[in-house]
Amino acid sequence: MTRHAISVSVNGAPRTATVDARLSLLDCLRGEWGLTGTHAGCEHGVCGACTVLLDGEPVRSCLLLAVQAAGARVTTIEGLAPAEDLHPVQQGFWECHGLQCGFCTPGMVLTAVDLLARVPDPSEAEIRAALAGNLCMCTGYENIVRAVRWAAARAREARA
Amino acid sequence: MSDHAAPTGWVGRPLKRLEDPRFLRGRATYIDDLALPGLLHVAMLRSPHAHARIQRLDASAAAALPGVAAVLTGEDVARAMPPLRPLIPIPNPPRTYPLAVGRVRYVGEPLAAVAACDRATAEDAVELIRAEYERLPAVVDPERALAPDAPVLFEEMGSNVLWHDTFVYGDVDGAFAAARHVVRERFTIHRYVSTALETFGVIAQVEPGTGLVTIWSNDQRPGLTSGVVAAALGVPQNRLRLLALDIGGGFGNKRKAPYLILAALLARATGRPVKYVEDRRENLAALAHAANGVMEAALALDGDGRFLAIALRDVVDEGANLQNPTLHSLLKLGNIVNCYRIGAVRFEAYSVLTTKCPSGANRGIGKPAMCFAIERLVDLAARRLGRDPADLRLANFIQPSELPWETPVGASYDSGDFPETLRRALALADYEGLRAAQAAARREGRLLGIGIAAAIEPGTSNLSSYMLATGTGGTSGVGEAALVRVELDGSVRVATGNVASGQGYPTVVAQIVADELGVTPPDVVVSPWFDSHENPWMFSSGSFSNKFSGTDTGAIVGAARAVRDKILALAAHLLEAAPADLELRDGAAAVRGAPDRRVTLAQVASVAYRDLLALPPGAAGGLEARYYYVHPAATRPDAARRVGVQLTFSNSAHVVAVELDRATGALRFLAYAIAHDCGREINPLLVEGMVHGSTAHGIGATLLEEFVYDDEGQLLTTTFLDYLKPTALDVPPFRVAALESPTPRTALGAKGVGEGGAIPSLAAIANAVEDALAPLGVTLPRLPLTPERLWEAIRRA
Repeated sequence: MTRHAISVSVNGAPRTATVDARLSLLDCLRGEWGLTGTHAGCEHGVCGACTVLLDGEPVRSCLLLAVQAAGARVTTIEGLAPAEDLHPVQQGFWECHGLQCGFCTPGMVLTAVDLLARVPDPSEAEIRAALAGNLCMCTGYENIVRAVRWAAARAREARA
Repeated sequence: MSDHAAPTGWVGRPLKRLEDPRFLRGRATYIDDLALPGLLHVAMLRSPHAHARIQRLDASAAAALPGVAAVLTGEDVARAMPPLRPLIPIPNPPRTYPLAVGRVRYVGEPLAAVAACDRATAEDAVELIRAEYERLPAVVDPERALAPDAPVLFEEMGSNVLWHDTFVYGDVDGAFAAARHVVRERFTIHRYVSTALETFGVIAQVEPGTGLVTIWSNDQRPGLTSGVVAAALGVPQNRLRLLALDIGGGFGNKRKAPYLILAALLARATGRPVKYVEDRRENLAALAHAANGVMEAALALDGDGRFLAIALRDVVDEGANLQNPTLHSLLKLGNIVNCYRIGAVRFEAYSVLTTKCPSGANRGIGKPAMCFAIERLVDLAARRLGRDPADLRLANFIQPSELPWETPVGASYDSGDFPETLRRALALADYEGLRAAQAAARREGRLLGIGIAAAIEPGTSNLSSYMLATGTGGTSGVGEAALVRVELDGSVRVATGNVASGQGYPTVVAQIVADELGVTPPDVVVSPWFDSHENPWMFSSGSFSNKFSGTDTGAIVGAARAVRDKILALAAHLLEAAPADLELRDGAAAVRGAPDRRVTLAQVASVAYRDLLALPPGAAGGLEARYYYVHPAATRPDAARRVGVQLTFSNSAHVVAVELDRATGALRFLAYAIAHDCGREINPLLVEGMVHGSTAHGIGATLLEEFVYDDEGQLLTTTFLDYLKPTALDVPPFRVAALESPTPRTALGAKGVGEGGAIPSLAAIANAVEDALAPLGVTLPRLPLTPERLWEAIRRA
């Protein structure tokens, strides 16, 4: 098994590791760097629990090898907001009860952050379509949709 | 009954959750997030066959792989432990172990386990294990499994029948003989499961020298699991420390004592901590499925459309489940008359083994299927009689003035207003408007359907009901335990025997205790985790059967009031007042009408723990109490075999409108309205979230999800690419109305809610689809109602 030295900017800080070629970015984030907020839900790219932002784009970290992330910028749930703050999307999930067991939440939040970056004022249909790649087994999605709307409204107020 | 009463305290308020910030920041601790020094990782060899004799199992190459610390086979495990102890034992149960011994009986059954330095190495080693099988015939269909010539899973049992019994309550034969109408239907119930997003996992560690076994897991019933694991490992329960961390969804599935035992045996063998976390394929193939089966049901009606009797022959496919068979049947029995005034019941139950994944608890256990059967019969009867399905239900509901109502099987309905619940759902959906839209759509040849289902949503299982199947005692009633402690600085800490997996217990428990002690919810820290050496607990401790409202509230209130009495006694001594003249508010005990005469909880606690000579002479110190609540309504089965299988009875009505695309079979929701009543709502925000989620679970089960086995017992749906879960695009927006009929049978008047929506949704959607298909004169396909099946049905017309 070949091993590779990689360095990745994770949540704004440089991280390095020497990894097997077969190690996923998910396992690298969790096992090598202790960032356990990124979750393994299916490990075959369907559930979206492992979603992180790679150079600003949402990706499934279970389907990406750690070596493929070498040199990239990665944002995980832990890096979305400074320690004592919540990102407006995180705040929206809190206000609207958009989480129950919390296992899908990091991936959902990062997917919603990406949506609002591209579409600041999405319709309900746009929200549902954007979230359709992330499974939640607890909420029935209704309050997650409300949470994203809450965050969009908060951003609208900030712009006004 | 009323809509939300204005709360006077913290209970009843839609408080956002206190525990959320750490989940939102990715700082929760699920089992797979825990790492220990020297941790080994487990992978398992699993059967590729449904049924086979293990001819040869050679793990020597795996054991020799660098990085591998230990390999265990079924033979090794059988030497190391007694057979597994079932929760619901049939007479003379076969001897089974966490790994297959001699024979495999379903695809995915584990035969060997490897512990290695990392998961990838463990999986490499599994591939080096050489297994040779002599294939045996599979038995996939439960009715085929009943046949005398069927392949038998356990030869020592002589057949595949785990349990067969017939229960008769009232004059069933007389009712059917006198009936003007009888509707009969044969329902094929499919296999599905909730698939919590976090899979099952465990870490086990054995302390050298003392033999203390420490196990962290996401098992949702630690009270039950502790005894099973301790017995298997041969350790007394005081040397088994069982912990649960944050749990990423449970829904009944998160229980697998065999994996805990296996991890502990590997920890013992290696002297190192050992972690096993299922991958999704293992989770879908081998954790647990809601049982499939066949329900042959008949409803007798008189000339006025009054329901007289129901008869059910119920064949439950337990797969290879020897741990808790018969559960699906018992819960169906308890719920068989639903919301209706039905005087006579016959229930013939079969629990049958097949070469499939073991059945297990899943959101509602059997009740979604029972509700499906009776609510489909009611719709078929309405069609036969030319009655509106809402009217026929309204004419047969038990009336609120008749409560409490004892059903023929012994369930005692406590509170509710079933007719008003349905009327509320009809209004919410604009039933009249939908019928008008349907008439217009039908004129255009469009397939628009409206479906109704009413449901009892029971909670709090009475474990005495197991006696109906086992005939033996030793386990009875149901309870929960709680600890409330005021710390030295006046802050409040609570722990219970239950484990949270998304229900919001840390918040609702804080709301309850805040009211009792005159503080605010953020002043109360509720332990989010379970630790059998710290938390109070009993056999029924844990998360199952919607029991929080039924038992946990009683334990929490009981412990909080005991602490309250201690505070008042001590404060009365310090204030030189009578305890009866004091009240607890704003974090202090004060004389009523003289708010300046007060001592804070911190001052009282300071005396209780530190300034001990300031205590009244002879008084004990401490401000802490434990309470072990036993639900007062639980009884054993009586001579006529009547028993309350469950003890609280929420209810709901779902009204659904769908349109089917003639060209593609695609289903689109036009409306989804839910009216529900779970008694007093401790936190309406959280209650509504559970109603949404459980309904979405039923939508997935009705439209998408199915475990498909081929004739050879091969499981064809082992990923989320072929076992389809509903996404945000598949679940419609919900309209929800809450009614509140507090029950006199629980401490706060609350009743169970978590399973609720998963029970009526299958029937409501199926009834809507059948209504949509009605103009075509085709029968409803079996569930799940996939576009393919609907397209086939439309095409047949």
